[in-house]
Amino acid sequence: MNHRAIHGTILGAALLAGFVGVWKLQEKVDTERTTLQMENDELALRSPAVMKRLSLEYAPLMGAIYWTRAVQYFGGKHQAHEQNLDQLWPILDIATTLDPNLIVAYHFGATFLSDAPPRGAGEPDQAVMLLERGIKANPEHWRFYQDLGNVYYFDKKDYLKASQAFEAGGRLPGTPAFMKIMAAKIAAEGESLETSFALWMDLYQTATNKDVRKNAEDHLRLVKMEMELRALNQIADAYERKTKQRATRISDLAQAGLLSGQPLDPEGSPYVLGHLGRAEPNPKSPLREEWMKEKKR
Amino acid sequence: MRNVQTVAANTFREAVRDRVLYNLVFFALLMMGAAILVGQISIGIERDVIVSLGLTAISVIGIFIAIFLGVALVSREMDKRTLYALLAKPVKRWEFLLGKFFGLVMTLTVNTAAMAAGLYIALWSVNHALLKSDTYVLVAVYLILLKLALIVALALLFSCFTTPFLAILFTAGMYVAGLLAGDLRTVHGVELDPGTLRLMRGISYLLPNFENFNVMGAVVHGRGVSAAIAWQATLYAILYIAIVLMGAAVVFSRRNLK
Repeated sequence: MNHRAIHGTILGAALLAGFVGVWKLQEKVDTERTTLQMENDELALRSPAVMKRLSLEYAPLMGAIYWTRAVQYFGGKHQAHEQNLDQLWPILDIATTLDPNLIVAYHFGATFLSDAPPRGAGEPDQAVMLLERGIKANPEHWRFYQDLGNVYYFDKKDYLKASQAFEAGGRLPGTPAFMKIMAAKIAAEGESLETSFALWMDLYQTATNKDVRKNAEDHLRLVKMEMELRALNQIADAYERKTKQRATRISDLAQAGLLSGQPLDPEGSPYVLGHLGRAEPNPKSPLREEWMKEKKR
Repeated sequence: MRNVQTVAANTFREAVRDRVLYNLVFFALLMMGAAILVGQISIGIERDVIVSLGLTAISVIGIFIAIFLGVALVSREMDKRTLYALLAKPVKRWEFLLGKFFGLVMTLTVNTAAMAAGLYIALWSVNHALLKSDTYVLVAVYLILLKLALIVALALLFSCFTTPFLAILFTAGMYVAGLLAGDLRTVHGVELDPGTLRLMRGISYLLPNFENFNVMGAVVHGRGVSAAIAWQATLYAILYIAIVLMGAAVVFSRRNLK
């Protein structure tokens, strides 16, 4: 091996050792810094207008970068089970100002904002603001009306506005009949399990993202369970009318010939009769916790 | 025209020899990295990011080449004193300038075409197909090329009468000012007298309006670009480049090269 090769090898080894040292040191610094417990500010610049100017002609790329930051911010908080999502709106505000045609940012952003904690930020008013901005910038995109209707229906419980949103979307060319049907259904019934089921089913069937699909699937399972609990309660009421006493166990209903067997929830756990003989999910059911949260809302 | 052709061909050869096209490796790595990474860290914007990142890279890399090489086109020839040998031959100064301009534009065209091909490969790898809306990307690439040609012309003009450093600053400044030119016509929130407003309006029309070549916002989302926008931008570029090159030729022909 000549001198040149030896020098090259030593230099390469020194560089490698140096980078390994930097890597290891950074890991130590990262660990140490977590003890500071500082909330990282996701935004150095909070003015969307200034950001747009600074982005020159590259605003669409900057918009995509900010949308990715929103996804990362939301996902990071979700994973850390942190409820404080107060920077979500400013990031989405900048992303959609930089690129007003960034459809996904409105669509998913509204879901992130409107869903109640721990699923989302629990800020349906901000979700409405975001979607209204999306409709203004992309008036031909009927899906925004559906998203708006969903926020009014599920999160704000404003059924008149929900119906109006579905109706407005239904007037756009190329919109499926589903929109007009939902407008009429919500106007007539307000909140009902059947309406909720239809809304979540449409979201489930049309979702292209696996997380959104999973969210819809979870809600569908809960709504289906609610529908089954309602049916069980009707049977329990019939039992009470017949025997003049309230059933205390599901088996009482079966023995009275009102049920053909032990009904199971969508997760396969048997339903039970709880306090005052009302049907409810089994305490061991994986759906019970979610059901309790929904009840409290 | 033969002289112009010869200078242009040599300028192109020189750029290739200077390894200018090496930036394509960086572009290829960027696009491959983006194609792999974006799908994993974001939601629903794989195509958007590939298109916006690709077009941004084509534009930014092109602008760097246009400004730095554009300014060096004349100044390097003077520093190396090769200009004197060239001008001793039957080559007019304006022919030299025009040849340099076309040579660099040719380099940029090859560079931009290669990057556009890379962008299409990245799009193919994300979607496993090319959509009709992907053809609009070509329009955006074409408009970027027009913009780059205009920047080369400006760089040439400034390099004819000032130092390379200042020429780079002026060209870059003109590019940024040109992007914001439209804003001068729509100033809100400040009270200005009509004279100032008229002046600002005049300046806004005199500056090269680089927004004319920007269709990224539409193309990223698969929206079409009308033929009128493309041909109007083409006409604008030709006209503006002609004015700038004429100015450069006048300045250069009067410059004392001793």
